[in-house]
Amino acid sequence: MNSPVNSAASNQRVTALIADDEAPMRAQLRARLQESWPALDIVAEAENGVQAVELASLHNPAIVFLDIRMPGMSGIEAARLLFNRCHLVFVTAYDQYAIEAFEQGALDYLLKPVGGERLRTTCSRLQARVGQQPQDITRQLGALLAQHGAQPKREYLRWIQALVGQNLRMISTREILFFQADEKYTRVRTAQGEVLIRKTLKELADQLDPDEFWRIHRSTLVRVDAIDSVGRDLRGRQMVRVKGVEEALEVSRGNTHLFQQM
Amino acid sequence: MAKSRLAQSSYANAKSLLDLIREVGDTAVTIWWRFFDWLAQVEWRKLIIVWVLLLLLGLTPFGLSKQAMAFIMLSLGLKVLAGGKRKAELEALHAHHQADEESMERRVVEARMAALQAQVEPHFLFNTLALIGQLIETDPPQAARIHQNLIDYLRATLPQMRAAGAGTLGRQIDMSRAYLAIMQARMGARLAVSIDVPQEMQSATFPVMTLQILIENAIKHGLEPKIAGGRIDIRASVDQGVLQVDVLDDGVGFNLHAADGIGLANVRERLRILYGNRAQLVLEAPITGGTRASVRLPYAPDIFAGAGK
Repeated sequence: MNSPVNSAASNQRVTALIADDEAPMRAQLRARLQESWPALDIVAEAENGVQAVELASLHNPAIVFLDIRMPGMSGIEAARLLFNRCHLVFVTAYDQYAIEAFEQGALDYLLKPVGGERLRTTCSRLQARVGQQPQDITRQLGALLAQHGAQPKREYLRWIQALVGQNLRMISTREILFFQADEKYTRVRTAQGEVLIRKTLKELADQLDPDEFWRIHRSTLVRVDAIDSVGRDLRGRQMVRVKGVEEALEVSRGNTHLFQQM
Repeated sequence: MAKSRLAQSSYANAKSLLDLIREVGDTAVTIWWRFFDWLAQVEWRKLIIVWVLLLLLGLTPFGLSKQAMAFIMLSLGLKVLAGGKRKAELEALHAHHQADEESMERRVVEARMAALQAQVEPHFLFNTLALIGQLIETDPPQAARIHQNLIDYLRATLPQMRAAGAGTLGRQIDMSRAYLAIMQARMGARLAVSIDVPQEMQSATFPVMTLQILIENAIKHGLEPKIAGGRIDIRASVDQGVLQVDVLDDGVGFNLHAADGIGLANVRERLRILYGNRAQLVLEAPITGGTRASVRLPYAPDIFAGAGK
């Protein structure tokens, strides 16, 4: 253990770091801390999560105050890298999910604007704990991260990029009626018109949400919400009609099961 | 026994015959009305083509010329006497259905937009209040300014407080200035803003909250996550009767895997219902990075804007 945290006498200098992306909020926390705990030495201020981790490595503060929402790296992500080196206090203006997790008492947190009784309680708890090894909060952080904008298991493509003239246009998958393979290209049909993209139908089928788009044919992916009706043409082929579009899309034999319940 | 069975079966025969006659009658009535509706709506040109074909058929050795002539006279008479009225009736009925559907759709979207406007993000509100609290101690004049900006923002955002005229571009620019001033106070040098909207476009009709949604998106998804921050440019221009409003940021750009939020989906839906195909929301990723969101819709300046006030 090369951490400088040791069983300190009460007169030993206690150091702290403040991380918040908003300057006025850093100033506020600093001012309130100076009132509630004049002996606390605030050695550095960080403007984002990445900087917080860097400065913590440099200064080895005993306590780090972390804003939860910060650009680059959130307070919770930074906490995962810092928790075994220093005592952590989360700061937030409003965060219903995070606060739920905090209420269980394992983690310290402050609400903005900081001050008053709440800050004094937190300070005295920290003073009691500062000489000890920080507790293991891996589990709580994991739970927090899961609630707090953590990535879902599988991410599906929600935007299609298409070159329209000189510009790279972004088309939301919610606007798209269907995709159709067209030799080297793929046709992207929207209510407004159509564009060609280079992505193959196979790539699209792999990346799109299979509940949002169905592959009804080797060369056709249709958005389920855009389907108007399913019928048969004179040759007995199953055909899908899409809202607002004249042309009907053929369902290949292997995929007729998609519409069996309809 | 045998006799009664016979009676029964003859009764059954009679009944089924009666059913058959009734069915034939019903079918005849249905076909007649279909024919009548068709006749009422068919174009004269097509009707004449049908007559010519019938005449040609009449001239063949089958010799149905009399029947053909009778049909032609009958359909001509019907078309002339009753066709116009029936056609108008059918069209009115159709239009009525369509209008019902459209007004329903419009009401649903209006309700959704109202709900959206009532959603001032709690995170924004609490952070701004915390900021005002801090500024009261360190910089009271700035605290008063931010406080006023917050009031302006809330007044425009909460639907029950919204003043008349919120559906103009000028009003939305004013409200956006209030919002951006708050964000600049919070983000400091991380946020630069430029607004370039010519005076004459201020009175143009622009659906309520549209600009605000685009700006909040640019800040939240483009600039706030970027460590260095960046700039946001708001521009308006008119070209051939089309008003185009651009919100451009140089933030982190698109996450291809993040679903477009409730905000963008609502803007798109609303434009579709208010303007059909004459308006659109276009999102682009400029080569220079960031995101450009553009709304294009028919330019409708309020010519009484200057005179009224």
